[in-house]
Amino acid sequence: MKMSKYGLFLLVALIFVGIVVSSPVVAQEKAVRMALKASDIRSLDPHYGTTTIDYACIDPMFNGLVRFKPEDISPDKIEPDLAERWERSKDGLVWTFYLRKGVKFHKGYGELTAEDVKFSLEKAADKARSGFAGDYAALGKVEALDKYTVRLTFKSAIPSVLGILTNYHGGYIISKKAYEEKGDQFKFDPIGTGPFMLKEYAPKEKVVEVRHPEYFRGKAKLDRVELWFMPDASSREMAFRKGEIDIVEGEREQAWVNKIKQIPGTAVEIFGPGETLVLHFNMTKKPLDDVRVRRAICHAINIEELMKFLGPDVTTKIVSPIPMDYLGGTDKVPRYEFNPEKAKKLLAEAGFPKGLDLSMVITEMSDYRRPMEQVQEQLRKVGINLKMDVITHTAFHEQIRKDVNPLVLYVCARFPIADPMLTHFYHSKSIVGTPTAVTNFSHYNKIDDLIEKARVEVDPKKQKDLWAEAQVKILDDAAALPLCISKFVFARKANVDLGYEMRSTLTLVTTIKETTDIRK
Amino acid sequence: MFKYIIRRMILVLPTLWAVVTFVFFLIRIVPGGPAVAALGSYATQESIRELEKKMGLDRPILVQYGAFLEDLCRGDLGRSLITNKPISAEIRKALPYTLDLTLGGMLIGIVFGVPIGIMTALKRNQAPDYIGRILSLIGISMPEFYLGILLMYVLAIKLDLFPVLGGGDMSNPGSRLYHLVLPALTLGIIMTAFISRMVRSSMLNVLKEDYVRTARAKGLHEKVVVYKHALRNALIPTVTVIGIYMSILMGGSVLTEIIFSRPGLGKMMVFAVKDRDYIALQSVIIIFSAFVFLFNLLTDLLYSIIDPRIEYR
Repeated sequence: MKMSKYGLFLLVALIFVGIVVSSPVVAQEKAVRMALKASDIRSLDPHYGTTTIDYACIDPMFNGLVRFKPEDISPDKIEPDLAERWERSKDGLVWTFYLRKGVKFHKGYGELTAEDVKFSLEKAADKARSGFAGDYAALGKVEALDKYTVRLTFKSAIPSVLGILTNYHGGYIISKKAYEEKGDQFKFDPIGTGPFMLKEYAPKEKVVEVRHPEYFRGKAKLDRVELWFMPDASSREMAFRKGEIDIVEGEREQAWVNKIKQIPGTAVEIFGPGETLVLHFNMTKKPLDDVRVRRAICHAINIEELMKFLGPDVTTKIVSPIPMDYLGGTDKVPRYEFNPEKAKKLLAEAGFPKGLDLSMVITEMSDYRRPMEQVQEQLRKVGINLKMDVITHTAFHEQIRKDVNPLVLYVCARFPIADPMLTHFYHSKSIVGTPTAVTNFSHYNKIDDLIEKARVEVDPKKQKDLWAEAQVKILDDAAALPLCISKFVFARKANVDLGYEMRSTLTLVTTIKETTDIRK
Repeated sequence: MFKYIIRRMILVLPTLWAVVTFVFFLIRIVPGGPAVAALGSYATQESIRELEKKMGLDRPILVQYGAFLEDLCRGDLGRSLITNKPISAEIRKALPYTLDLTLGGMLIGIVFGVPIGIMTALKRNQAPDYIGRILSLIGISMPEFYLGILLMYVLAIKLDLFPVLGGGDMSNPGSRLYHLVLPALTLGIIMTAFISRMVRSSMLNVLKEDYVRTARAKGLHEKVVVYKHALRNALIPTVTVIGIYMSILMGGSVLTEIIFSRPGLGKMMVFAVKDRDYIALQSVIIIFSAFVFLFNLLTDLLYSIIDPRIEYR
């Protein structure tokens, strides 16, 4: 019995460790810790970063020639970033950018010059070194006229030149010297001009960024930013409740929003533009090559019910693959009302009176899996048995690009103009499995002419009409079914001042800027 | 004893080779092979071939095996398919955290489990025994992730005693210990339950032995009877079980590492499975296996310390 005194001693010692070590530390650095729903990054090379965790890490480290206002993604409010001004030719094909002087890259990689801009944009346009090369297909040449002047010549007009030069995807400018030095390892040791620079990348754990002391807009208010990979929702919530995490990526669920709001000193942000949830039908796979089957699926899905399930605060309605608040979005498109009887009738007409079986893979990520499980249940009611194998998010992205799914639920946001969305998902050059593949999972190829005409149309009304016609065709052919828009949900400690009012961001996460601070 | 250790170490090598070989071929008999497993059962033939070529799997199996052994002998575990970083570097970083957790959990288990086991054995069928047995049953039944979240909620959030995030700074022992307490307690409570039951059972057997009765008849103090005569003999099976639990604990640290966002081999293994990073998975399993052998060897060596009659030749 006396031996239990050792146990008692250990217990006291443990509590002592807790009390002593947890005592306040003086002169703490200003740090913000963010927890994101991810197990790891894919790449910190901005021209390859495609997941939200990638965006969260990349955005504080890089700039573009121009940028969106931190709180707003309106294309008409794009403002100077690395370029202090620009000129365009009358035909809109030649753009000259004048760079800020004295902009420094991280870690002594020198001053930003026109050569870095030329190198970055050429890399972004090179499919061997960029995931966004398709966005730059119209870019003819990039010339460094002098140390601080860059001229871009386009082969044809595109809807938004400034759009592809913003702080997003291929528009981020990297250090030429660093990329040439580091090669493939650049993706884990990137060099940019942003307010924060990479200090540490701990695989499967976190990315740590520290203040870039020579940032051209002035030193960031924070010393350090930590971005933790925390796939487990309970752990993220506990860490946030404990105060060890300042900003947490939430679940896009009403219940989560309601629960987290109850924590004192918490600000919940639900922001746009949101991601569109669109179900793409692979028109080359039987039986989805039959439009009646595709339409039957559209009629079998109860979108109102789905939105109610996901939560009214976190979803908004969508009727076309292009959201209404995108330039070119329209609501004058064919709609498929929820009508299970009609769905069954169409299936019978297509030769499936007893229903049919479909198999697909779906990511474990709840943003995809939960809505898809609802769809699965709704389809079951009309006799469509959808077998879903749950795989990792990385594997899912790989697999759907290998054309394995008859149905692909894709959740994404794009530059808020109709062209990128139409080009990436409905142009024949984007069909998955082809050398120029992007994300055309439906193998749709009937609106190439409309997309291409709209892209170079200079009359805004005619351009919108062409985009609207394209959307009508997509839905008429039931190539895809738009489900809804899912907004982003983050919670932060009220003492974290982002330095801007979060309304919408293309990075899809609460991003840390040089203005972000911690109030006492 | 030294000769024994050398002999065991030498014997470990063929056993380790057998495990390594088993792991290597096991991965390759997953339906469709590792590339299909990595890409999923819907992968196209073209993508399978592409990845197989990238992984060097298009070569004859024995050639691959030879290259694998050759790399392993050089201490080269390969590069992660996801991060492209050397696996050995990732393991070097993760291993100390896992060892901390395993040893911490076991230490708590022994310090609490052994006295509780003795007490419940000595007070058999009395109130302390019933309480101890019920508590140990709860401990054994408690899922690790649930206990972890519960401890987090009470000790970290409500009482604000411990952190819930990360493994602390490896170069700072205070920070390391501070971050270790809750995860180690999570595993330690479960270990306490297992060990206390084992000690109770062994003690009950030993207490019935003639030499214990003789010791009591000689008029020895009860403490001497219990700790010198009974406990030392009861510890042999306990140590065996502790050795086995050490291995289980090390491999079973996965959930605790994920819940507390700690780096570690368990977490590395799970994410390797999730990301289909088979090179990483293969390497982590090899490291786990090596530790199982090490724990077994240490267990065997402990026997001679506990019971001097046991000699190693």
